[in-house]
Amino acid sequence: MIIRARDTLKLIGVLIMSACAVSVCALFINSNIDLARIKDQITDPEVMAFYDVLVQSGNVTSAISGGALLLTTIIMLFFYIKHYIDTHKSELGILKALGYSDFKIAKGFWVFGLSVFAGTSVGFGISWCLMPMFYKQMRGDELLSDVPLPDIPMHFNPELVLFMIIIPSVVFAGLSILYSLRKLKSPALELITGKSKVKIRKSKQSSKEQSFLKELRQNTVRSRKSLVFLIGFSAFCYSDMIQMSISMTDTLDVGNMMTVMMAGIGILLGFTTLYIAVTTVIKANSKTIAMLRIFGYSDRECKSTILNGYRFTVAIGFIIGTIYQYFLLKTMITMFYNDEIYGLPDYSFDIKAFIITLVTFVPIYETIMYVYSKRLKRISLKEVMQSE
Amino acid sequence: MIEIINAAKQYGNGESATAALKGVSLTVKDGDFTVLLGASGSGKSTLLHIASGLERPTSGSVKYDDLDITKLSEKELTAFRKKKVAVIFQQYYLLPHLNVDKNVKMGADLIGNKDYRSIIEAVGLGCKLNKLPSELSGGEQQRVSIARALAKKPQALFLDEPTGALDEETGRQILDYICRLQKEHGFSMIMVTHNTNIAETADTVIKMNSGKIARQYSNENRKSAYEIGW
Repeated sequence: MIIRARDTLKLIGVLIMSACAVSVCALFINSNIDLARIKDQITDPEVMAFYDVLVQSGNVTSAISGGALLLTTIIMLFFYIKHYIDTHKSELGILKALGYSDFKIAKGFWVFGLSVFAGTSVGFGISWCLMPMFYKQMRGDELLSDVPLPDIPMHFNPELVLFMIIIPSVVFAGLSILYSLRKLKSPALELITGKSKVKIRKSKQSSKEQSFLKELRQNTVRSRKSLVFLIGFSAFCYSDMIQMSISMTDTLDVGNMMTVMMAGIGILLGFTTLYIAVTTVIKANSKTIAMLRIFGYSDRECKSTILNGYRFTVAIGFIIGTIYQYFLLKTMITMFYNDEIYGLPDYSFDIKAFIITLVTFVPIYETIMYVYSKRLKRISLKEVMQSE
Repeated sequence: MIEIINAAKQYGNGESATAALKGVSLTVKDGDFTVLLGASGSGKSTLLHIASGLERPTSGSVKYDDLDITKLSEKELTAFRKKKVAVIFQQYYLLPHLNVDKNVKMGADLIGNKDYRSIIEAVGLGCKLNKLPSELSGGEQQRVSIARALAKKPQALFLDEPTGALDEETGRQILDYICRLQKEHGFSMIMVTHNTNIAETADTVIKMNSGKIARQYSNENRKSAYEIGW
C-alpha cells in the first residue's frame, strides 16, 4: 500500500463535511423514525396535521442539507485525491513503470474513505449528544406548545449506523478507487517526469493590451476551477447558514439549539473550505510567487495577483447563498407553516439577517486574506527553486 | 561594479551545520562576463544567489557600487532586484498558463518597457508569441526566459546553469545568444556552468571548490579552458 492512513489526516475538510451532514441528517431521521412509532396513537386530525408537518420538514431539511453536503464532500474528496496524485506523480509513475497495474495502485486509495468513516462517526456521535436536547426542543417548540402530541420516546435506531456510517464509508472508499483509477490513466513516463499536458484554453489568452499582473491574476483563477468552486462555496455556506439561522429564529422562533447548530455549521464549513482552498492556491502558485519576487514584484503585488482574483467568486458565492436561503425558507414556510394551523404570514427577505451576515463576513474574510498575505512573504525563494 | 567581500554562507546549526561558502571575495566590473566553474556542491550556485540578492550571506557583504545589499530590508531588496538584476535558471520557471508574449511581459512591465517584443524577435521567437511554454522545445523555453530577463533591462544578469537541461547543440546556441546579447546591451554577467567551453568567451573564469575560490583567471586573451590548463 503506497498511501498511509496518515495521508488521510489532510482530509480534515472531508471529515468536517461528512460530520456536519450526518449530524444534521441523523437528528432529523432518528426523530422521524421515533415519530413514526407514535403515529398510531394520534387520532385527532389536527394533531395528525402537525405530525405530518414535523415529519415532512424533517425529511426536507435532511434531504437538502444532507444532499448538498454529500455533493460537496464528493467534490472535496476528489479534489484531495487529485491533489495527492499531482504531488506524488513521480512515485506513482515509478510503480507503473515497475509493472503495477492501474487497478493495483488505485486499490490503495480506499484509505481516503477512512476520512468519511471518521467524519460520519463523529457526526453520528454529535447527533447523539444533541438528540435529547433536540427532542426536548421539538416538544417545547412554541409553535407546537399547545398541540397535544404524545411523548416521543428516544430510541437508538441501529439501521442508521448502517446507512449513515458504514454504507457512506464503503461508497466513498469505492469512489476514491474509481476516481484515482481514472486519474492514473496517464503514461508512466508522463507521471515520472511530471510533464503532463497543461490544459489551457488558448482562447482565454487575452489579445488586448493589459498589464502582466492583471493577465496573471485572471489566469491564476481560470487555471484551477475546483479552487474557484471551493472558494465560492465557502462564501455560500457562510452566507446561507448564518442568514438562515437568524431568519429562522426571527420567523419561526426555532430554539437556540437549531440556531447555534446552523450557525456553527455555516462557520465551520465556510472557513474550513476557505482555509483548504486558499492554502492550496498558495501551494499551487508558490513557484509563480517566487518568480515574481525574484523579478522584483512587491509583496503587495504578489498578494493582489494571487489572492485578489477570487474576490468576485466570493461575492458570487455570497449572493447565491443569500438567494438560496431566501427561496429555501420561503418554500419551507409556504409548504409547512403558511396555512390555517400555523397562520404564519408570507416570508419576506430578512434585511437584518443579510446585513449581520455581510458585516461579520467581510472583516473575517479580509483578516484571513491578510494572514495569508503574510504567508506569501515567508515563501523561501531558494527552497522553491530547489524543489524542482 | 559588484563587490563580494568575504561572503560566507552556512546552512543549519550545531553539528548539522554545513558551510556552503567560506569567505569568498570577488569583484565584477561593469559589463564584465564572469564564469563560475566547479563540481556540484562547490558553492558556485550559492555564490550566485548571494551576489544576485536572492539569498543573504551569513557573514560578509555584497556591494553594488556603494550600496551594500546585505543591509537592505526585504522590501528594499525586492526593489533592488526590480531595478538592477535579472536571473535565469536551468529550469526556466516560465509561467505555464501564459504565452510567450505574456511571459516576457512579466519582465518588461516592471520597468514599463513597451518595446519588449524586439527582444523576443532578437532571441528568434517572434513567430511564436502566442505559443504556451508547453508547446515549445527546451531551447525555445530557455530563450523565452532569457528574453524575459532582458526585457527588464538589468544592470547585471545572473545565469544558473542556463544550458544544464539542454542538449549540446541547443546549449551552444543559447550561449551564443547570451554572449551576443551581453555585448549588445553591455550588462554585467555572472554565469554558473559545468560547461568549460564557455570559458573562452568570458572576461574572468573562476573555479570553485569546497565553498572557496580555488582558481581565478583573468581571460583577456580569450583562452579556452584547455589552454588555461583546467
